[in-house]
Amino acid sequence: MPLETPIVREKSRLGGIVWALFTGILAFATICPLAWMISTALKVPDEVYDMTLIPAHPTLVNFAYVFTKLPFVRYMLNTFFIAGSITVLALLLHSMAAYAFSCLRFPGRDVIFMAIFSTFLISLPVIIVPLFILARQFGMLNNYAGLIIPPIFNAFGIFLLRQFYIGIPPELQEAAIIDGASYWGIYWNIILPLSRPILAAMSVFFFLANWNSFLWPLTITTNQNLWVVQVAIASFHDQYSGSWNFIMAASTVVALPTLILFFIFQRQLIESIKTSGLK
Amino acid sequence: MTTRAEQSIGASGTAAPKRRKLSRGQAEALAAFLFIAPDTIGLLVFVAIPMLFSLSLGFFEVNGFGSYKFVGLANYRRMLNDPLFFQSLWVTIQYVIMLVPGLYVVGLGLALLIRRKSRLSGLFRTMFFVPNVVSLVVVALVWQVLLVDRVGFINQLLETIGLPSQSWLGDPTYAMGAVLLITIWFLMGYYMVIFLAGLQEIPRDYYDAAKIDGANAWETFTRITLPLLRPTSFFVLLVSTVSAVAGGQGFDLIYVMTKGGPANSTQLGIFYIYMQAFQFNDYGYASAMASVLVLILLLLTVILFALTKGGRFHAT
Amino acid sequence: MSTDDSAQQGISRRELIKRTGKIAVATAVSSVFSPFSINVRAATTKTLSFWQFYGPGGGNALQSKWFEDAVNGWNAQSETKVQLQFVPNQEYMNGSKLQTAFASGQGPDIFIISPGDFLRYYNGGVLTDLTPYMDDAAKKDFFPNVMETRIVNDKIYGLPMEVEPMAMYYSVKAFKEAGISESNYPKTWQELFDVSKKLTKGKRFGLLFDTTPGYYQNFTWYPFMWQGGGDMVTPDSRKSAFNSPGTIQALKLFQDSIKLGIAPRSGLGFGGPDVVANLASGYCAIQNVGIWAISGLRDAAKDFQYGVFPLPIPPNGQPKSVLGGWAFVANAKGKDPETAAKFCVWTVGSMSPESIERGVDWCIRAKSDIAPRKSVLDKATAEGGYNSGPMQVFKDQIFPTGRDEPRVPPDVYKDVSDAIQNCQLRGASPEKQAEETSRRIDSFLASYSGATLK
Repeated sequence: MPLETPIVREKSRLGGIVWALFTGILAFATICPLAWMISTALKVPDEVYDMTLIPAHPTLVNFAYVFTKLPFVRYMLNTFFIAGSITVLALLLHSMAAYAFSCLRFPGRDVIFMAIFSTFLISLPVIIVPLFILARQFGMLNNYAGLIIPPIFNAFGIFLLRQFYIGIPPELQEAAIIDGASYWGIYWNIILPLSRPILAAMSVFFFLANWNSFLWPLTITTNQNLWVVQVAIASFHDQYSGSWNFIMAASTVVALPTLILFFIFQRQLIESIKTSGLK
Repeated sequence: MTTRAEQSIGASGTAAPKRRKLSRGQAEALAAFLFIAPDTIGLLVFVAIPMLFSLSLGFFEVNGFGSYKFVGLANYRRMLNDPLFFQSLWVTIQYVIMLVPGLYVVGLGLALLIRRKSRLSGLFRTMFFVPNVVSLVVVALVWQVLLVDRVGFINQLLETIGLPSQSWLGDPTYAMGAVLLITIWFLMGYYMVIFLAGLQEIPRDYYDAAKIDGANAWETFTRITLPLLRPTSFFVLLVSTVSAVAGGQGFDLIYVMTKGGPANSTQLGIFYIYMQAFQFNDYGYASAMASVLVLILLLLTVILFALTKGGRFHAT
Repeated sequence: MSTDDSAQQGISRRELIKRTGKIAVATAVSSVFSPFSINVRAATTKTLSFWQFYGPGGGNALQSKWFEDAVNGWNAQSETKVQLQFVPNQEYMNGSKLQTAFASGQGPDIFIISPGDFLRYYNGGVLTDLTPYMDDAAKKDFFPNVMETRIVNDKIYGLPMEVEPMAMYYSVKAFKEAGISESNYPKTWQELFDVSKKLTKGKRFGLLFDTTPGYYQNFTWYPFMWQGGGDMVTPDSRKSAFNSPGTIQALKLFQDSIKLGIAPRSGLGFGGPDVVANLASGYCAIQNVGIWAISGLRDAAKDFQYGVFPLPIPPNGQPKSVLGGWAFVANAKGKDPETAAKFCVWTVGSMSPESIERGVDWCIRAKSDIAPRKSVLDKATAEGGYNSGPMQVFKDQIFPTGRDEPRVPPDVYKDVSDAIQNCQLRGASPEKQAEETSRRIDSFLASYSGATLK
């Protein structure tokens, strides 16, 4: 059990090494399959099917090729804008709702929550036809509104945040009310700062889920200027099915921004523990 | 929208002045409704209405080109005589029973492992999360190279130590196991992050107190970590179950890797529904089956919520 | 202001809100549900949409350019314009995008389908009869064995742009290593197994049949069924014909290839149709795949040496192959089915020199296919498209033995697919599977009322 007290630190120099070794091996095993992806992206065509991990003649030609064939930069900017907008809006709306469901009392609270949760029991393919028709009625085909607004609404986020807000002691809110704070004030000044760890985690999830989303963007756009990366990747895969070096290069390119983002946000996630007043 | 909500919530929450006074309870309820309004309306419009519409198609014969014929319970009767439907339910049950505990143990295990303060933690955390950011087709290609008959890395490894090689993805005996392994590998980073955030919520004083009481690591884990992690655990178990049944990333993986094969051994219920709807153009039948899945999940959820006081684990 | 007034105002306002509310709800409901009951024709724009899966930026620029050129050519001479729209291949074939569009009355005006998909669209009433827009000469120009599955009651509903027969591809290097002479390629199933056994060595399998369940696997299996006289349904498509010796031995063929350890249970890359990841990579020495692999290898594995031979036959069997290929169709529920139909005919089904030239371009330059029409095939031959190597084998030896990919409803496809999968990968008894599948097909046909199966 890793604890962060000074005592533990002192006596566990050896423990630290064992831990680092063990975790390191696990982590390495985890990324091993993907190391092969990057290595294939660096291979020349003749070597692609050798299945070796180290390319004999590493080359960056594949990456250059990927960018010349499809405007990946444009698709990445598109996706960045769409996924970013969804993430920000969804976090705000979901945390508001979750605050009400966990910290406020109102008639029908549990029933409404169950109803909201039940929308989580169905996946996109099952509702895609009526959803498409709705989006068309709202004029959401082939524009950013259609790409951004429908995906915001998702019971997952409300449920996750609620589970975290449940842990916040009610006394905190009581004290604030006695001090004359409004509910919005409590939410904005107390709840939101307290939920930084989980908001950081969720922003990673939401951004990633939308960076990787494929079916909905594909369904409501016919305009290639609105393509997102996953649609571009799918089309690329189909057209270069034999050329794994290109497929892997394209996938690496698309995965990199999300990896960098995760690396930054996971720090945020861990850092936030120090600043939160609760602990 | 937000600014308006802010003003009215602000007004009703505090001293509730000027107009006639709301009681504390009324003010709280009003604020709550304003807080949940945007999400509730959005979910109603973009999920609930399409969902009710889709599920009601279970009573129709739909050809996917604009013809709708009311057929009563015919689709449900057909389901009772469809061995493939029952087989897909059975596959789903196997999948859930193995995937959900697997993800829980691995996700929590990783979270505990990398909670440690070390310069390497950030790197390791990122490494465990890496599988999640790669496009699914590549995941499929990469794992093929590991698992494919005879020439796959794993089989090469087995042959060197004198064990027979297997077709991990092409043999009905192993395919589900292989798919499960890949799914856990793919999703574990995700659940690791949720657990990590959950662990941060546990006040450190508790651990300090345990330390002073001389509790060992196992006692600390079973008496502090696990009980205080219950809301998170509840969330993880419920969400992983629902997405395994209703179709999440696990479904996408099966879709690109095995297409439900070999010999239907990885054909999940949701996969069969998808096929009926989009390949066989039988939306009515697909909807009928989907509503059965939703009903099962709903029952499960209601029971879980009832048993756990709505996932709160303590009286409010 | 009197109290009365304000009360009245209040009521009327409330009433007004109520009424507007009702109207708004009614409009919303009807507008959401209307596309399901009424077929809305958006008459506002007169641009026809044309969906296909040859996108820009592909490994072979000629293919997407061919579509662009055809559309530009049409737009230059027609008032009603056509707009090309690209849908990624996997999604086009197995995904939900097309189905979602059709289900909501927003299907493309022009699209392409394979014979395996014909009945789903025909029975859905979205295919336009193209016959009135064709010359008699053009109707006769198409080969009869290519048109069979595109015709219902003597009316043509789809115009093929290509013909894609199946064959066996082999690696020259693997043959050399095993000491097998190329002229002595396997002609019977027994020889195929014998040769494959010799070729199975180290990290290489001798033979590869597709193993992924789906329309494609069925497609690859049909010719082996036909070779021994088997079929799925009787010619009048009233009853199943599945329980026959021809069918059983074909199921056994796929099963034995696995049992003998000469063929893998799973392929690399995109599986059966992917010749680069399997044959060219050295994973297998012989692969069962179609004519498109010629251009696939040309684009992605230029230096790979390979040859092609016709599908081997069982004892007392007939040489048979299956002919795939996509056809232009016009949406009968689209914005302007007549113009859409004219576009299809103008592009690939008229006797104009441009239309013929377009066919030649597609079949021997953009792709590697057999032409579906006599005039196109003649011209392509004259231009040297089938003079040598694999293209010649396909045209002279394989195409004449070809039968069009069957059109069957999805339910029958799934029953047959399960039979193949169960025998090949679960080791089920071919006799029992044939019997059981036959029973299922019969019970389906008893209540089937669509166009005849072919």
